[in-house]
Amino acid sequence: MTLTVPEGNLITPDIIETRSNPKSEIGNRKLPEGHSVSPDHNLTPQTMCPAFGSLRVLTRIDGVQTAMVTDTGCLYGLTFVTHFYASRKSIAAPAFGTKELVAGNVAEAAIASCVEASKMPGTKLIAAISLCVAETAGLTEEMIPAQVNGIDTILVRVPAYAIHSHAEAKDVGINALLKKFAPVGAHGGAPLTADGVEKPLTFDGTNADEDDLKKKVVMLGEVFPADPLTVDAVLKRMGSGLAANLPSRNLEDYKLARKAGAIAAVHPFYGGSVATLRAAGVPIISGAPVGPEATYGWIKGVGNALKLDPALVEQVAAEERDKCKAILSQFSLKGAKVHVCGYEGNELLYARLLVEAGAVVPYISTSIMKSLYTAADEAWLKARGTKEIIYQKALEQDIRALDAYKPDLVLGTTPLSAEAKARGSPGMYYTNMLSVRPLFLGAGLAGTIQLISEALNRAPRYEWMREFFEGERHTEAANVVNTMD
Amino acid sequence: MIMTIAEPTETISTGGKKHAPIELIRDLESTSGYWAAVWTMCAMPDVHVVCDAPIGCFNLVATAVPDYTDAIPHIHNITPSVMREQEVTMLGTAGAVRKAVDALRELHPDQEIIVVSTAESEMISSDHGDWLSKMTPPVPFFWSKSLEGDEWEGRDRVLVWLWKNFGFQIDDLRLKSDPQIVNHQSKIVNVIGPTYGCFNSPSDLHEVKRLIEGAGGVVNLVYPIEARLKDTPRLGESAVNIVMYREFGEALAKELGKPYLFAPMGIRETTEFIHKLGELLGTSEQAEAFIAKEKKTTLAPLWDLWRGPQGDWFSTTEFAVVAGRSYTDGLVRMLADELGMKVQFASARPRTPSEMNNIQIREALHKKQPGFMFGSLNEKIYLTEAQAKATHFMPSSFPGATVRRALGTPFMGYSGVVYVVQEMVNRFYDMVFNFLPFDNVAAAGQLKDVANPLAQANKLVWSEEARAQMESHLEGIPWLSRISATRELRTQVEVYAVRNGLKDVTPEVVEKALLAS
Repeated sequence: MTLTVPEGNLITPDIIETRSNPKSEIGNRKLPEGHSVSPDHNLTPQTMCPAFGSLRVLTRIDGVQTAMVTDTGCLYGLTFVTHFYASRKSIAAPAFGTKELVAGNVAEAAIASCVEASKMPGTKLIAAISLCVAETAGLTEEMIPAQVNGIDTILVRVPAYAIHSHAEAKDVGINALLKKFAPVGAHGGAPLTADGVEKPLTFDGTNADEDDLKKKVVMLGEVFPADPLTVDAVLKRMGSGLAANLPSRNLEDYKLARKAGAIAAVHPFYGGSVATLRAAGVPIISGAPVGPEATYGWIKGVGNALKLDPALVEQVAAEERDKCKAILSQFSLKGAKVHVCGYEGNELLYARLLVEAGAVVPYISTSIMKSLYTAADEAWLKARGTKEIIYQKALEQDIRALDAYKPDLVLGTTPLSAEAKARGSPGMYYTNMLSVRPLFLGAGLAGTIQLISEALNRAPRYEWMREFFEGERHTEAANVVNTMD
Repeated sequence: MIMTIAEPTETISTGGKKHAPIELIRDLESTSGYWAAVWTMCAMPDVHVVCDAPIGCFNLVATAVPDYTDAIPHIHNITPSVMREQEVTMLGTAGAVRKAVDALRELHPDQEIIVVSTAESEMISSDHGDWLSKMTPPVPFFWSKSLEGDEWEGRDRVLVWLWKNFGFQIDDLRLKSDPQIVNHQSKIVNVIGPTYGCFNSPSDLHEVKRLIEGAGGVVNLVYPIEARLKDTPRLGESAVNIVMYREFGEALAKELGKPYLFAPMGIRETTEFIHKLGELLGTSEQAEAFIAKEKKTTLAPLWDLWRGPQGDWFSTTEFAVVAGRSYTDGLVRMLADELGMKVQFASARPRTPSEMNNIQIREALHKKQPGFMFGSLNEKIYLTEAQAKATHFMPSSFPGATVRRALGTPFMGYSGVVYVVQEMVNRFYDMVFNFLPFDNVAAAGQLKDVANPLAQANKLVWSEEARAQMESHLEGIPWLSRISATRELRTQVEVYAVRNGLKDVTPEVVEKALLAS
């Protein structure tokens, strides 16, 4: 199998199962009376506020200050989650309500908050984040000066009504940076070829650093901090290496992306950034080194993209595959039935890792949309026992899937894992569990098998706790309405 | 376009017409009317809110934030209309709202569906009041005013709206038949305010109930957190209402027309509260006996701490508060007026024009840090930015990820005085612990091989100016921490001097040493 971007003809309308076009069996299944979810509707899409994806990426970069243009309620929620999950950084914003809207002060408000953001010592870039209300009021790029107080600005437009998941908003934030750092040609934009595409940065043989970069990979996708180290170590054995991992804390890493030998987009939702880099002539590798088969394929893919020594690449790829197989010969998830229902956008990847580790994953759902970059994993998973993959999913679909497949373990969103626990079976919040373990190569495989096995072994506790609080099991699942009562 | 903008921000011009200065916000102190409405209404299990919102507004209010504050996995009884690009730009949201309302009516026939507007739906003028009122039965619509006003106005407004829409039918039959009402009519007390997003409210409510009962009252309805929507008429049954917070709830108490008291903080206010409640309920004798007993029981630890060595450092320790109006005024009364601590600054929410905003608070904390900072996540960030090591941060307000669901952490009432003081004393003990010299077991092996420069430090001669120079570096540090800070600075300077072969410590040596470290 190949791990390069799949051909477009893999995607046909009949395999697109989204909230708006529910083709799935689950979507149409009727449920018993008195069930806590709607049998006929998918009312509750699952994602963190989409804008959070951009904020998370941008606030974590050293020297980047953010200015948020939005209403107070939005600001409260987004600064809260940003401070909690992404950064302890103070965030500037203008008061933005009826008074400012009536006065038509959208641009003034945005600029004033950029000025406030620029006052922080050491600021290298100001990201003005334009959210639902500002977008509706018509804040446009032309309204924001390219620099404020001598500091570069970017406008990042992330209205939640137009971007449907926070994973995809990470792409918007990164892409805004990549575009800001495009080389400037004679006409003010990036230099273009005769075909009108961005001219590749070519190595002229005089710069050793750039020569070195051309042999290296920039990894695109938020991963556990140890993963880039293990990936780098493997790549080094083939005479390559990891130049950077985006999103990164270092602004300079975003400037490197165009100069790298290849981009490894390990998560499938960076379509915008990938398009920008591809237009700049950088080869793209999709997929990720999870489990023996994907690890082998991914390393080979990197070798091909960078034109490394094929014999050496084959040797390293085989070694890494065999390390994974050695782990699987000792530990395995055989017999476990797991649902992977996060909203991070990398659920297919994780499901694939579990399947490679021996688990059965009948149902997968994610917040991102189906795209070219999800097709290879979808096809692989469906060939190995996955019954349904739901994109842009709703909570109701996930809950109906619990009834349909009765999994041993649910890796879900907060409401879904709470529902699993309310039913007395193991459930974990996908986002938090995933972000505290390595996933890639042998180390990722071993760690993941341990995490999942331990969760499965805890099953009696979940049942004990349920029974303690909810009493004797009824024939139907309890409807947990309000846990503050 | 490249533009350099000079301070102050009021002079910004983008070439357009003149306009009012833009007010800037740093981080956050309160949220909007939409959040206020959701957190008030959804506390009642027989309500189901349809929020006319893009997915983000739904997720933040229903899952992301209450998960980390109220520790609720997610608020179950709220559904978004899911406004998308097509609704914003072309269709409007009526269709999406209708779809959700129809589905929920079928799914939850016993719940009252209430549609609530959001900043974005107000932005596109999606007023559904008219058509919703024509449905059979009509669906109530709450215009949350999320583009103006703040959380506190919103909380006030939604409580009054609930009373006006769901509270008017007082159940005469119940008034005559419920034994609690019949037997205790003149002693019935309702509590107004506690709900989602109210910092530490389970503990405070627990204490307030204890005080009400101690004073001779009978707690009837706690609205909305312990109520159902159909209990709303019971708000009219009380002899006295207790408003939990200064920042909201008083409007409803006024509307109800009964005497009301605010939940108390500090020794004097708590005593006054019990006394007054006894008077209003005609149970003065019981109330006075309760106060006397409390002094010997609940409050006794304060009397002991006051007479003990711990009592001495109150007057030498500075604190600052940024929290809701109740907590800010209450902590100032308790810690400054009663215990004699020094207030570095206090700024309540909602803010009066004379109180510091977050930008000013940030500047103040960067300059000088108090021994204790009672505040929200914002202040915690500003202290981190200032690298404040000697300040104890005491979570006292949202925003911030803090779970306070246990019943034993009150700030209000007599229990609150003891809890707050006890926590401060324990932080003080921690500080003392960290001052004391210790043998670094982990580094012990390495130290043997390293010539310790401090061994030669006693030969150094400090000039008066150098000493003064070091003092000036200590000024921003709270008194209690100066002992260790002085030792630390002195060590830095002396190590530098010894390593550089110097015999005299001058102001220049102090500066160079501090720069080098």
